[in-house]
Amino acid sequence: MNRFWTTFRYTFTGLRWQIIGWGLGVAIYGLMIVSMYETLGAQQDRLQQMIASYPPEFLAFFGGDTNSLLTPAGYLGMYAFSMLPIIVGIFAVIAGSGLIVSDEEHGRLDLIIAHPVGRPSFFWGRFMGLLGAALSIMILGWLGFSLLLGRSSLGFSWGEMALPFLSLLVQTLIYATLGLLLSMLLPSRSLAAMVTGVIMVIGYFVSSLSFMDQRLEILARALPYHYYQTVLSFQQLNLTWLFALLGISLVMTALAYMRFFHRDIRLSGEGSWRRG
Amino acid sequence: MNSNNTIAPNRETAIQVQGLTKSYGKVRALRGIDLQVQRGEIFGFLGPNGAGKTTTIRCMLDMIRPDGGKALLLGMDPQVEPVAVQARTGYLPGEMQYYDNLTSERQLRFFNDMRGGRAEWDYVRHLADHLVLDLHQPIKNLSKGNKQKVGVIQALMHRPELLLLDEPTSGLDPLMQQEVLELLREANRTGTTIFFSSHIMSEVENLAERVAIIRSGEIVEIMQTSSLTRSSLNRITIRFKNPVDFTELAKLPGVVVLSQVDQTSLTLQVTGDMEMLVQTLGRLPVFDLETERPSLEEVFLTYYKKNNIQQGA
Repeated sequence: MNRFWTTFRYTFTGLRWQIIGWGLGVAIYGLMIVSMYETLGAQQDRLQQMIASYPPEFLAFFGGDTNSLLTPAGYLGMYAFSMLPIIVGIFAVIAGSGLIVSDEEHGRLDLIIAHPVGRPSFFWGRFMGLLGAALSIMILGWLGFSLLLGRSSLGFSWGEMALPFLSLLVQTLIYATLGLLLSMLLPSRSLAAMVTGVIMVIGYFVSSLSFMDQRLEILARALPYHYYQTVLSFQQLNLTWLFALLGISLVMTALAYMRFFHRDIRLSGEGSWRRG
Repeated sequence: MNSNNTIAPNRETAIQVQGLTKSYGKVRALRGIDLQVQRGEIFGFLGPNGAGKTTTIRCMLDMIRPDGGKALLLGMDPQVEPVAVQARTGYLPGEMQYYDNLTSERQLRFFNDMRGGRAEWDYVRHLADHLVLDLHQPIKNLSKGNKQKVGVIQALMHRPELLLLDEPTSGLDPLMQQEVLELLREANRTGTTIFFSSHIMSEVENLAERVAIIRSGEIVEIMQTSSLTRSSLNRITIRFKNPVDFTELAKLPGVVVLSQVDQTSLTLQVTGDMEMLVQTLGRLPVFDLETERPSLEEVFLTYYKKNNIQQGA
């Protein structure tokens, strides 16, 4: 247990610059978006004209229409939250796919694992470090989106603003754990990151395009982004979706752990650990 | 893992390995390794690159799982009790890799934390002083040799009962090689068992009490280091002040004339003891003499010839 906390501490502090970078980035973006709502609200007539001039397909891509985009939830959904899973997803893909394998590909894991840590403590310590980093980014982002709410006519409380961040956290975990699992199954970290990234981006586009073409909905339902809750989460968070994604993340983490526990540790430059 | 393979733990034995096999696809890295290292012993594991030295050591520390056979370290199975084994063991990998942005001290503190803070920092400084290593330098600024020193310190700093070292003097200059060997002897004097791999004959002769020779995943021979020295080859080039008759030299036991330029220069191959050769040379007008130690391959050839085993080129 002692080594679990040591591993957690080192992993979390090792991710500190990523936490600061991604967290502050989202927070600053939130401050801008919330403060800009007043400016846009003052020019609502002109904004309505501008939105009306957009092609309906464009609005549909962001999951809205002329009326919904002028609501506070629609505004935040279009200008902020619809893109955040992709933006924070980059962190998730990099951190998840490299959580264990980065040290292995650099030849450091060999010596670390030779210390009396134990694979279970090492794996779960690292995973909890990643979870802590993702949570910290969400908290920083949430603070950024909430700090100016008191002066804004958006009408959300700090608690309500936390709801889309819960959904965003689960999305982040899905991509991080997918990256982690693939890094245990595929020959290299870069391949795992690439496959996870492709799934993430395809999910975003297919899900957005499915608002325009109903035939894509079946495919969209198979991808995580479909279950991301932005506008809806302000009204009522779909807990079934939330916990289902969380469950899938845990299953992927457990599978990655089992793979890590049973396989050989590679040396630097050995390439694939898979038997030829 | 072959569950039929069992070894009875022995208190006197630090390492017990029996029938260890490991394959990577079609490549059979280990073909049934059997070893026993006594507590307090310095044991050399000699073999050319790719012979299976690293694979054996990594199997012992549960970093890779053998296909068959069993290993016990300090009476414990590393696959069953890896943390207990690793807590009492120090390990130096063949190639040290670090977090390059850390200083040596921060890196060593990281390793120490991973051991639950067991190392005494005064002892770490003693080791660093001995190896002339500045602990405040970032790792990325260190030479290969200095990085190796950090590795040696991390292996020794918690005063382990058993040291598993994969080519411990790799990358070090001759002076530092001697310093490292001295540190290892010092650890051994306090009771630490040392198992180290090498592909350098002289290093093994210098440090080890016993040696196992591994080739293509098989143990060729296990012997006292002194026997290795006795049965090994030496290549000697002699130049004489005046032309001499080499007949007497060629007739000495274990001596083969490899080449002869003229009556003033020749190269001999000597197997084992050189006493008679030196006595004979004492009566001749020797100008200078150069001794070359054999490569491992040449040593293996000697063994194969001795055992009448056909050996290809």
